[in-house]
Amino acid sequence: MTRRGTMAILRTFAIVVLAVSVAPQPVPAQKAAPAKKESPPPPYNPYPTGILPADLDSEIERVSREVRLIFQQALAEWRALPPPNLTGQPPTLQGSGYDMVQTLGKLMNYDENMSVLKNQACASCHMPYAGFSGPIPSVNLTMVAFPGSFHFRAGKRTAQRYTYAPWFPVLQFNETQALFFGGNFWDSRATGYLLQNPDAEQAQHPPVDTQEMGLPDTACIGFRLSQAEYRPLFEQVWGRGSLNIKFPHDTERICGTPGGAKVFGTDTTPVKLSPEDRTQANRVFDNWGQSVDAFEKSKEVSPFTSKFDAFLKRLTTLTADERAGYNLFRGKAGCNTCHVDGRGSTQTPGTGSGSIPSTTTGTDTSQAATVNPLFTCFGSANLGLPLNPRNAFYYQTKPDFFGFTPNPLGFAYRDLGLGTFLRSGFGSAPNPNAEWIPFAPSVDGQMQVMTARNVAMAPTQCPTTEAPGGPGGFFQKGFFHNGYAKSLKQLVHFYNTRDVAEFTQFNVTSGHCPAGTMEKVNCWPMPEVRNNIDMTTGNLGLTDQEENQVVAFLQTLTDGFTKPYPNRNTFTGACMFGGMASTQGNEFLILTPPLPPCASAVCGVAPVPNPPIP
Amino acid sequence: MNGLLLTLAITITVGSLLAFQPAAAQVLPPAKRAERVEIAKGPELESATNHLTIMRWTTNNPGGSDVHYGIVHYGSDPKDLSQTAKNPIRLNQGHAYTTFRVRIYDLKPRTTYYYTVTSEESNGTSDGVKSTVRTFTTPAPGEIIVGARP
Repeated sequence: MTRRGTMAILRTFAIVVLAVSVAPQPVPAQKAAPAKKESPPPPYNPYPTGILPADLDSEIERVSREVRLIFQQALAEWRALPPPNLTGQPPTLQGSGYDMVQTLGKLMNYDENMSVLKNQACASCHMPYAGFSGPIPSVNLTMVAFPGSFHFRAGKRTAQRYTYAPWFPVLQFNETQALFFGGNFWDSRATGYLLQNPDAEQAQHPPVDTQEMGLPDTACIGFRLSQAEYRPLFEQVWGRGSLNIKFPHDTERICGTPGGAKVFGTDTTPVKLSPEDRTQANRVFDNWGQSVDAFEKSKEVSPFTSKFDAFLKRLTTLTADERAGYNLFRGKAGCNTCHVDGRGSTQTPGTGSGSIPSTTTGTDTSQAATVNPLFTCFGSANLGLPLNPRNAFYYQTKPDFFGFTPNPLGFAYRDLGLGTFLRSGFGSAPNPNAEWIPFAPSVDGQMQVMTARNVAMAPTQCPTTEAPGGPGGFFQKGFFHNGYAKSLKQLVHFYNTRDVAEFTQFNVTSGHCPAGTMEKVNCWPMPEVRNNIDMTTGNLGLTDQEENQVVAFLQTLTDGFTKPYPNRNTFTGACMFGGMASTQGNEFLILTPPLPPCASAVCGVAPVPNPPIP
Repeated sequence: MNGLLLTLAITITVGSLLAFQPAAAQVLPPAKRAERVEIAKGPELESATNHLTIMRWTTNNPGGSDVHYGIVHYGSDPKDLSQTAKNPIRLNQGHAYTTFRVRIYDLKPRTTYYYTVTSEESNGTSDGVKSTVRTFTTPAPGEIIVGARP
């Protein structure tokens, strides 16, 4: 055999070896050291009777079954991928790279082992049938924040929808506008400053959030991934050997102890690694965020398949109510000043009082600004929502089994949103840009302007959020950052009438509207944060029918019209029936206790809110 | 052979392979500032309860930053309008007119207040418009005033 022939055979052999070695194939998960059988820690339950919904345990188990089902689906999708073809300079997974990283992100998203007690995936609070927001109707109706891996610690806000979150830019203070744009999370604390991708950085927070997935160290992600069944896929995407980290023998125990536990003190890296291994673990943690981001940006999550998208392509027409709602959305209701629809609107002269044009009869004469409008301005606003006393966060004032107290401030906590983040304040995250700190008082109370897309997404069998629902009933969601609104009707009614004097004259907190009035109908409690309330809306003058038309339009923004939305049919819980959208959930209102002044840990951090927040 | 191994090594070294698409930011540039901003309607009382008073006025669209602040300088002495209330609104760039609305909390009941209004961009640049000094009177305890409607 000639030398050339030998080389050809060797080359062919090498390629075959490479293909086999990197092809997706199930391998047994790396066995962790068998854990000692210990009785589970007693659940944390500092809650007064009625704060936790009665069906919480069974609903958590129900969602867990659904999550595991989709995880198996993702495993099958991985196994069906073609052999990777890593080629070129720089090396690229030719042909299947997108599918591989998105499938990896999907596996991660539905992997319950990525939580401290191996019982909670990202998806446990973000299921597709809810537009990747909260999947448990009774939680949406009551405690608002979803319970974490260590039951029943809970966060403080509603689970934000994933859909289109990857389109938010890196948080920036736009010098021209003198405004903040971008970031992820209600308070924009996932800035994207390092990865230059706020959605990827968003995905890094919940796994190490004390009240969510609860891992005590970012290295635990690498540790758990090194044990994962889909480890080969991770290494195909992010590099062979990328998970070869020398974890110390006590890593299993450390990563099984919830973050915030007294035993850790202030140590945020209790897994003791060499500098080299820590660097590698950090990179794995970044790759985790990037992979989940790829999944969230995929057609499985953000596909632009709504009726409105079909309408823009002239593939369908809107009903009369939807069309009227669209005109209101960008006219009288003013929604598109923040939930930008990619088009402009004009005012019609002579239609308002005093010969000033009203916004009622605006006409669309502009060209579409974008092919796929995202229905957000990427900004933030304080809408003046009332404090929701059902929020589980207020009650977590006692230490749990691990000596951690989620909210020592109790009802003295005020959610200042972006303002608290800029101050690196309690319950948020460190602000990586000191230049922004002076702007905190100008953004107190502001929460991110989410995309309006998929706000109405609900499971296939009960495809509406509005009571009484159709033949299949309705799916209960919670709207706004604190879940105060329980239907889109209430959401629109709030924008429409928040400032109507007859509805606001009582100056009460939630639960205290006087006899003869109905909260959320003709009585609005006082805002939690008075400062910086956006006054674009609040007294829109919409009729009841017009409110319903705006809701009808919002429902056209639900993906799945032109193609089925993946896994929208995986809900196995119970739909709800009866009632009315305007009063939906009012039977669960409770009395707000007398509120102590805003805690100094929130309102006393410089630069302090101006004017002071009561 | 060494070349082959090198090729293999390079091939199986997976680095930062996946270039993520830059966010398709939809942040629109600010509108061109109006040459002159004038109040077209108001200012006037939108409503008043015992704890909350809302003033409103309409100008031609001032342009500039997406967020503008409506500002009310007020006081019960016409020579001392040293108290200030301000609130943000968002401009709709396509609209010819812009309505400003400002919340004032906890005024004394049955009291006449004097006020003037201005507006500014989010960076504090004035729109160059200021109303004349006007008055309003707050309601008696337990009463409300409903003024201008949208």
